[in-house]
Parts: sequence; C-alpha cells; structure tokens
Amino acid sequence: MDVFGSFALLLAFVCAAYAFVGGIAAIRTRHPLLVKSTRQAGLATCGLIFLATFSLEYLFFSDNFSVAYVVAHSNRSLSPFYKVAALWSGQEGSLLFWSFLLAVYVFSALLAYRNKNGELMPYVGVVLAGVQIFFLTLNNFVASPFKALGVAGANGAMDLVARGDGNGLNPLLQYPEMVIHPPNLYSGYTGFTIPFAFALGALLARYPGEKWIHLTRKWTMIAWGFQTAGILLGAHWAYAVLGWGGYWAWDPVENASLLPWLTGTAFLHSVMMQEKRGMMKVWNVWLVFCTFLLCILGTFLTRSGVVSSVHAFASSNIGNWFVGFIAIILLVCLTAYFKNRDYLKSENQLDSIVSRESSFLFNNLILLVSCIAVLSGTLFPVFSEWFTGDRISVGTPFFNKVNIPIGLLLLFLTGVGPLLAWRKTSLDSLKRNFGWPLLMGLIAGVIAFPLGVREFYSLICFILCVFVAATITMEFYRGAKVIRARSGASFLASAVDLTMRNTRRYGGYIVHMGMVLIFIGIAGTAFNRDVQKEMQIGSSMQIGPYSLLLQNFDTKQEKNYTAERMIIEVTRNNKPVMMLYPERRIFPANQASGTMVAIYSTLKQDLYVVYAGQSPDTQTPVIHVYLNPLVKCIWFGGVVVVLGTLVALLPNRRAVLVLSAVQEPTRVKSLAGTLTPSPTLREGHD
Amino acid sequence: MIKGRGIFLTILLCAAGSLPLLVSPLPAQQPSDRAHQIGGKFMCMCGCNQVLSQCNHVGCTVSTAMLKEVDQGLARGDSEDTITQAFVQEFGTKVYAEPPHSGFSLVAWSMPAVYLAVGLVLVLFVISRWRKRPVHAVSGAANNSGISPEMLERARLRAARETQD
Repeated sequence: MDVFGSFALLLAFVCAAYAFVGGIAAIRTRHPLLVKSTRQAGLATCGLIFLATFSLEYLFFSDNFSVAYVVAHSNRSLSPFYKVAALWSGQEGSLLFWSFLLAVYVFSALLAYRNKNGELMPYVGVVLAGVQIFFLTLNNFVASPFKALGVAGANGAMDLVARGDGNGLNPLLQYPEMVIHPPNLYSGYTGFTIPFAFALGALLARYPGEKWIHLTRKWTMIAWGFQTAGILLGAHWAYAVLGWGGYWAWDPVENASLLPWLTGTAFLHSVMMQEKRGMMKVWNVWLVFCTFLLCILGTFLTRSGVVSSVHAFASSNIGNWFVGFIAIILLVCLTAYFKNRDYLKSENQLDSIVSRESSFLFNNLILLVSCIAVLSGTLFPVFSEWFTGDRISVGTPFFNKVNIPIGLLLLFLTGVGPLLAWRKTSLDSLKRNFGWPLLMGLIAGVIAFPLGVREFYSLICFILCVFVAATITMEFYRGAKVIRARSGASFLASAVDLTMRNTRRYGGYIVHMGMVLIFIGIAGTAFNRDVQKEMQIGSSMQIGPYSLLLQNFDTKQEKNYTAERMIIEVTRNNKPVMMLYPERRIFPANQASGTMVAIYSTLKQDLYVVYAGQSPDTQTPVIHVYLNPLVKCIWFGGVVVVLGTLVALLPNRRAVLVLSAVQEPTRVKSLAGTLTPSPTLREGHD
Repeated sequence: MIKGRGIFLTILLCAAGSLPLLVSPLPAQQPSDRAHQIGGKFMCMCGCNQVLSQCNHVGCTVSTAMLKEVDQGLARGDSEDTITQAFVQEFGTKVYAEPPHSGFSLVAWSMPAVYLAVGLVLVLFVISRWRKRPVHAVSGAANNSGISPEMLERARLRAARETQD
C-alpha cells in the first residue's frame, strides 16, 4: 500500500503539471478540447491525492511498521480514533493532509463551475494547478510520508526493515479536539486558495466587473468559518490540555493562524464596497493575495523552525521551499497587477466621510494594523538577531499591550459601522441609531465601576460590548417590528423572517454578537486568580467560593498510558459541587508525559485544576488551581460566530409574488360551487 | 416606542445583572506573589517558550531555579532592575518576555503606532481623493434623449444594489 500511495502521489504530480502547462496552452489557443482535458486533469489530480491519503490511513490502521511515518506517529495500542489524527501529526503527513484538503476544494470548484464562466475558469484552473504542483512537489520529493523504514547496511546501502511496534502519537495530540482542530484550521488555510485563484485568474483574464467577487464570496466565508472554528478549537485545546490556565499565549504558531484570519476578515468587509459601490477594487485583490500569502507564510513559520514555538514542527530545510514559493506568488501577483491595473479603477466617489464606506476603510485599517503588528512582533526575534546579534524574545505581555487597544477600537467599529448609511449619514440618523446604545453603554459603565470593574481595559471593553450588543439588538428589533406590523406574526418569528430575507446582513450581525461574547470572555481574563499548593491526602484548600479536598491520590493503568490521578471533592458553602480528577499521563511508547486538566465550568467562572506532579523535595502531590471568570463566553461566542457564518451562507428568502386562490364571495360560491377560483396576486415567500 | 423602551430596559437590566459575573471579590496582590509578578516579565529558559511565571512543565528545574533566584534577589533587597540585569547577564536578551523600552527594541514598541499613523494618513488621503473624484452621472431633462434603456437598467440595478444593505 505504501508503493500504491507513492505512485498515486507521483501520478497526481504529473496530472497537476499537465493541468498547469495544458491550461496555459488552452488559454492561449482557446481550443475547447484542450480546455476540457486540462479540467479533467485537474479533477484526476484531486482523485489521486484522495487515493494517496486513504492509502496512508490504511497503513496506520493496518499497523504497517515498515513505513517510517507510521512508526514515528502510531503504535498498536493507539485507538482508531487517534489513528485518523496520526495522519496530520507530523511534517510529512500534515503536508499530505494539506494537499488532500486543497484537493477537496479544487475538486468542488472545478466541478461546480464546469459549464460556467468559460472565460475565467481556465485561468482559475491554472492557478489552482500551480498551487497543487508546489504541495505535490513537497509530498513527492521533499517530505514523502511513504518512505520505507531503513537502516544503513554493511555495504553502505539502505536495508529495509520493519518494527514490531511504533513510537506512538504525541501525547498532546491524544485529545478529542486534536482530531477536529487541525482539519478545521487547515480547511481555513487551504480554503483561501479558491478566492486567491479566482482573484488572480480574474485579474489575468481582465474578467469583467465584480463577478469574481460574487463567485468567491461563499468560498471565502466557508474558509473564514473554518479558520475561525479552527482557531477557537485550538484555543480550547490549549486551555484544556496544556494546563497553564489560559487559552491564547501568542505563540508563533497561534499567531500564524491569526494573520490570514485578520486579512480574511478585512476582505469579507471591504468586498461589500466593491459589490455595492464598485470601489476598493485594487484593495480587495491585494487583500485576497495577502491572505493567501499569509497562509503560506504561516505554514513556513510553523515548519521552518525560523521562530521557536511549543508546537511548531521540527526545524528542517523545508522552509527554503516555502520562501521560494512565496517569492514566486508575489512575483506573479505583482506582474499581473502592474500589467492589468487599469482594469481595477474605482467607479464611484465618496459623498461623505460619515458613511458606511468610511467605516469599512477604518475597519480595514484596524484589522491590517493588528495583522502587521502581530506579524512584526512574531518576527521581531529574527530581526533583532539579524541587526544586533541578540535574539530578543517577544512574549505575551508585548502582544497584549499592543493588541488590546487595537481590539477595542475594532469592537467600537463593530458597533458603529453597520448602522451608518451608504453614501452619507445624517445627524438625525446618527442620533436615532446611536443615542440609545451609547446611553446604555455609558450606564453599564457607570454601574460597573462602583461594583469593582476598575481595570481600565476591562471597563472599556464591557462598555463597548453593551454598546455593540445594543446596536445589533436595535437593528433586529426595528426590522422585526416592520415585519410584525405587516404579517401579525410573533416578534421572534418576525426576527427569523427578517434574518432569512437578508441572511448575509443579519448573519453578519449574529457573527458580530458572537464576537461581543468573545470579547466579554477575554475581558474576564483581568480577574483571573490562581493558587499552587502541595497537598497531603485529606487536606483542603480554598479559592474564591470553592473549597477543594484531596480525597485520594492513585495510579490507573490504561491501554496506551499510565495516569497519576488526584481525586478532589469540590464543595461550595459546605455543599458538594462535584468530583474532579486532574491527571498526569505517562505514555510508555514514547516516554512522554501529558496533563489532563479537570475543569468545573459555569457561566460565571471556570474552576480549573491541574495536577502539577509531585514535589521533588517532599514527594507530595502539587495542585495548581485557577479561577477564570467568563471563559465560557468565549466558547459560546465561538459557536455563535460559526452559526452566524452558516446563516450568512444561506440564500436569501425573497419576498415574491405568488399565485394563490382567493376565496370567492359566499354568494358566488353558493351559485357556482364548481367554479375554478381566480388566481390573485399576493405577497408571499418562495 | 414604549415597547422599544421596554426591550432596552430589559437589556439594560440583563447587562446590569451580568455585572456581578465580572466582580467577584478580588484579593489584593499578596507580597508573596512578588516573585511571581516579576517572573511575568521573563521567559522560562527551559526552551518551552512560555513566560517564566506561567511555565507549567511538571518538574521544570529551570523555572523553579529562576523563580528561586528572583526570590533570593528580593530577599537581598535587590531592585527589579538589578534582578533583570542579573538575568540578562546570565541568559542574554532572549530572557525578556517583552522587548525592553530601550535600544533596538524600541522599534518593536514603536512599530504598531507607526503602522496606525501611516495607515490613518493613507485612509484620509484615499477618502480625500474619492471625495474629489468627478461624478459620472447623467443629469437633467436635456439629456433624457441620450439615455439608453441599457443605461437606465444599469442605473436601476446599481440603485437596488446600493440600497439593499
């Protein structure tokens, strides 16, 4: 099966090369047969990548320990659930997984538009094939996951061997979220390839108008949704597994996932300017280019070892390939832009600075500043080493200081932007839209301050959250009120109807509401507390309203690991709340250990308990307890954001004129019971 | 309008009701946490890439030793600066959790503000250019004869597009 997988990958490379070269020839000659054959080659490339991926999974499930990658990332006692995740647990497999997800997108796009947009699709196909060629080059010639396990023989040649068992999966990855977090994040990264291909293709083809924007909007939202879910799942994994009490440490790998998300978010907003006003065409094209470049840059940072990170892959020379690829993309984008920039001229003028257009500009500015600040902070250690010879670390405190004010500014614009009118907003409209929300925000602040919310940023954040939530609620309320007056339906039904009539707009508001919840959760960080203590069996400790009693300390043997476990009874006001079992797991296959945090989570706060090992001096179990307020808001907010994205992806339910039978007057009905009712027009929905 | 106010009042009450979530009684910073607080300004040098006071590796000897060093310094009456200098001498500048506010590191601190300032100037420049751009609109009854049905349809579509959201 390893030979089959290798062969499938090699064949996929050949097909991708044909799709690329043949595609260029098809663009030049416009020969229909060539166009069709290159599209088929693109589809075949995807099919072959699927086969290669499934064959690697088969090797994991059949415990084939003659393949180096399987030996390094699996063992016999690994549960089937984690054997799926073993695919992306190392450099080679994760690159194949990248190719796999990209193939899913490419296959879908080629199939969806096979008989549409004949002028544009050959260009798109060439760009997609170009990206696939790069990753297939890595899969085939640089980091093949199908390499056989070998040892140097006596004559210097490599002898193939097979091991009885493998090293097992990294313990940190043996957690359910690790099975869904990377696929989500990678789906985000790879998904941005589609809007990139359409943008570059449209620029190269000088494709008319905003068609490419309409074509790629859903693809962009799907990629953005996956990226958001991936980032939040990663944060939750870090929170529940790494055991340091937080969910975001501004690690280079975390930052790498945030960068394209920021530019992608900017694009989703600014794209409306092009759709509605024909403005910001250059900006949008470059935002898509930058988003894709940042996806590749993030992958480079994760895999090259250029920046140190807890969960980056081991350093290797693969980084040079990524640098080369980034350079090529940049060159192609710049060439295409300078050659065809006249095609990107804006059509409209700006009527007023107080308008939706301006708010989008400022929103984009803030998102971009945040992106560049995170990028430069991440790369600063490298720059400082280049310029001064000393590597200066940039950790959490720096990123927090820089990004919190930027984030608050963005939160403010989240409330302001959607309520400004296109073209020009009058003073009356400003008063009408912002008076109440502003007042509510200020009142919330006035109430919060004496109640103890004294931390500056938390107070501002809370005020802004109330303000934004109020503006969004007002929008729903106003729209639903109009529908209710006409239809007589309940307020909730009217709000749902309103949402379904313009899913994009109201889905967007739901996303904003989710972001408000996330910000509330982040604001809670200012009130975190923690206590670390050595505990004897039978001793207890207090944190906040909770009392923790160490009932026992034992060891349990599982199939793949041994766990040292604390058994803790949690009480509140002498009433039992629940039992917690924080663990430290030791995996004999790779002699690694991992934490299993125990969390008692409520809407108000999380009681987060870590077994921190035994004290080296006294051999007494050490417990580290955190009390983290409002963390649940972050996860709940994440769910709301994803739901909002799904709503925004739904087609609008339009008010249409439908034919329906009208009840005839009684007199007529009695006279002519068999009369066919006359069709009458009335308002309804499709 | 009364119903609208009712809803706002409900939201306001909910917001006020949720405030206690944020305001659990907070203990004052204990003196014994001083080392922990100073540790927040350094990275753990075990290679975990975590802030010293947050390093949670079970049995991490490096973070334990570093925090002990901070404690010893405090016991000697050393200032935070002296402790910092001692760490920098021992581990180099990579021990900082955030770049110091001096020398080349100032670049890291000033860059976000520079990005914001440059971006702001650019945005204002773009806005002023957009505002000066001439309007290509067909106006006046005199030009009515020059309007083709296609142009009219395009204008209708554009108006519909621009007023949708």
